[in-house]
Amino acid sequence: MSSKTSWRSVNFSSLHIEEWNGEYTVFHPESGKTHFLNQMGFQILVDLHSRPLSAISVDEICQNLMNQFQLQSDTTFSDQVSKTLHRFDELGLIEQVK
Amino acid sequence: MIVEQVPVERFVSLLSEQGLRVKLGPFNVQIRTKLLQLASQLYPLYANYELVEDEIAEFHVQVLPKHSVRRPFASFVRFLIDGQSPFPSFPSDQALAVLEWGINLAVAVRTNHLLLFHSAVVERNDGAMLLPAWPGSGKTTLCTALVHRGYRLFSDEFGLMDPQLGDFLPVPRLMPLKNQSIGVIRNYLPEAVLGDEIFNTQKGTVAHVRPPKESIQRAGETAKAKWIVFPKWVANAPLKLEPLPQSEAFLLLASNSFNYGMLGETSFKAVTQLVRTCRCYKLVYSDFDRVIAALNELTDDT
Amino acid sequence: MTRNLPDHHRLLLNALNNPASVVEYKIPDWELLLRLVRRVKLLGFLAAELERRDLLDKIPVRAANQLRSGLIRAKKLQQLAHWELNRIASALKDTPVPMIVLKGAAYALAKLPSAEGRYFVDLDIMVPKESLDQVEALLLKKGWRHRDISAYDERYYRAWSHEIPALIHRERETEIDIHHTIAPVTSRVKIDTCHLFDDAMTPSHTNYKILCPVDMVLHCAVNLFQNNELADDLRDLLDLHGSLAVFGNEDPGFWRKLIERANQLCLGKPLFYGIQFSRLVFQTPVPGNVENELNEKPSIFSRSIMHFLVPPALFPLHPDKPSKYARLARFLLYLRSHWIRMPLHLLLPHLAYKCYLMVVPGKTVAKELGR
Repeated sequence: MSSKTSWRSVNFSSLHIEEWNGEYTVFHPESGKTHFLNQMGFQILVDLHSRPLSAISVDEICQNLMNQFQLQSDTTFSDQVSKTLHRFDELGLIEQVK
Repeated sequence: MIVEQVPVERFVSLLSEQGLRVKLGPFNVQIRTKLLQLASQLYPLYANYELVEDEIAEFHVQVLPKHSVRRPFASFVRFLIDGQSPFPSFPSDQALAVLEWGINLAVAVRTNHLLLFHSAVVERNDGAMLLPAWPGSGKTTLCTALVHRGYRLFSDEFGLMDPQLGDFLPVPRLMPLKNQSIGVIRNYLPEAVLGDEIFNTQKGTVAHVRPPKESIQRAGETAKAKWIVFPKWVANAPLKLEPLPQSEAFLLLASNSFNYGMLGETSFKAVTQLVRTCRCYKLVYSDFDRVIAALNELTDDT
Repeated sequence: MTRNLPDHHRLLLNALNNPASVVEYKIPDWELLLRLVRRVKLLGFLAAELERRDLLDKIPVRAANQLRSGLIRAKKLQQLAHWELNRIASALKDTPVPMIVLKGAAYALAKLPSAEGRYFVDLDIMVPKESLDQVEALLLKKGWRHRDISAYDERYYRAWSHEIPALIHRERETEIDIHHTIAPVTSRVKIDTCHLFDDAMTPSHTNYKILCPVDMVLHCAVNLFQNNELADDLRDLLDLHGSLAVFGNEDPGFWRKLIERANQLCLGKPLFYGIQFSRLVFQTPVPGNVENELNEKPSIFSRSIMHFLVPPALFPLHPDKPSKYARLARFLLYLRSHWIRMPLHLLLPHLAYKCYLMVVPGKTVAKELGR
């Protein structure tokens, strides 16, 4: 999977979000599903939503997360983030832009 | 009028002809069967249910003998709802278990105006306590013990929640004890009224406990939930009652509901509200006296 | 029509044709109505009709609760079908294949009155025959699976029917039926599907294509009178009635176009029955005897047989005392549906296999209970 792939948020404002001490339950009306997200997973959605008009690359998303959570860069982290993005895509929470 | 005020001959003729119509909490059920053995099992166990007059019965069920071409000498029964059979036939000595199971299934798949948790629910000091758990965790056994020690039975199986009001509705049905639990309850609660033991069901041996009379009389009194306790019976384990993180309680409740997905946003909001307003615990127990003392202490502290 | 109906059918039909009248229903009427309306999969429809008229608070609360439960289920099934459509569109977005939404989901996209509260058990789409393999392969790659079916059924689907075995996404519940035409390929009717794709339309506020009004009506009629056994299919006749009434009202040229299209596609017979029974049961406003202008009409003999068989099959059996006559009618229509769908050399082995399945029953499915 190429790091050139970009992502953008889909209809973030339709989500119902409840916070539980750093964890989140998110109801997605279109699919009718409730998702359970940790802080970082949720932050990915927020970051994508903050730039609704332009797609964001995986690298940029990783950079944002590393800054916010004060993490060191490593390749497994970027793989994890990429996996999460594909999962969110499958769930219809975000979409891929080529 | 309640069932025990009806002479047994009349009870049998109701069942075999126009149907016995009883109030099971918020639902009215019309039961028809010509099986005398089932009628004689139902009479004492249904003794306290109110007969329905001038009201709609939501569920029309029937238990019929079935003749099998392949096994002409074995005796089977079929469960019908509205004239249709939702599952295969069973040996006739399991008729009571099949009837109870069939009614539960009908409630579970047809009720969406209420949120249905797979949970025992009992009430004490004006608060409902949810005991949601997976099969085999001993929720029916614990529920049976509690309702014979001062708690009011809402249900051993269904947490019925009105999602708009946030109230829980009692639906006091027979409580099916399984396998070793039968002996355990007979020892601990000699006063409990149990039906015949039914062998070789899908869940092993089953015996039904009759709900306490007061729980049935007060089945119209709803309550708000105050405590959510996820119980687990572990042989010889010391009692443990520890707070459960709210996010976990949310996840467990939603995944233990029959129709969480069906109600969509309504259930998301209702479960959120429920978890925010209840105290959530997980419980490990092995001894009835200790667990009842601990839950009494919990429900006294309001 | 209503004069000859058994009491329980009249009770049901009256509620469907004139929902406001149910406020007069007595308790035994309500009990029977709820059981019947469930059997013909119209609990959600009746609930939607009553809700629209603000009548759910004016009927016995127990009936209202059952109706609300049915409406909630219908809305959930619709939401799932729409989401499935969204996911299919997303999976196929880089593949330029024309896709047409059929049946229930299409009625909802067209905003037909019978769509509200309708149960969508599965999602039906149509793609050109030459794209079928490509679409199937793509969906299989993106998480869909074939539903578990026997090898026999699979062969039946692929060779003799007009769809491929249903697909279902591994994480979701809605089955997708992918069609490439609107009548079975084995049936004596051959349809040139190019016309269907050429004239498909996109309703405002959606990105999906649906059949144009006349084709939608024809598909509905074909489904009912050619693909089906008609047992408990009152719902489908109601769909037909709803679409005829709406389209006929919106476009003065509709009836002319409908007859021409039916003649062009050689679908006169199913449309003939569709119009006749829709008018007979639901008093659909049909101008004159427009069905007489069809090139292909059933023979007088067939018509009179169908006249006796169809109503007792469409309407539900009485749940406590089913009539033997209605059962016979259903059985004969079951045979008829297969006779129409398949050449005889395929039909006889097929019925023999189905008969074998009846004698050696598999597991009964509990999901039927929910409706």
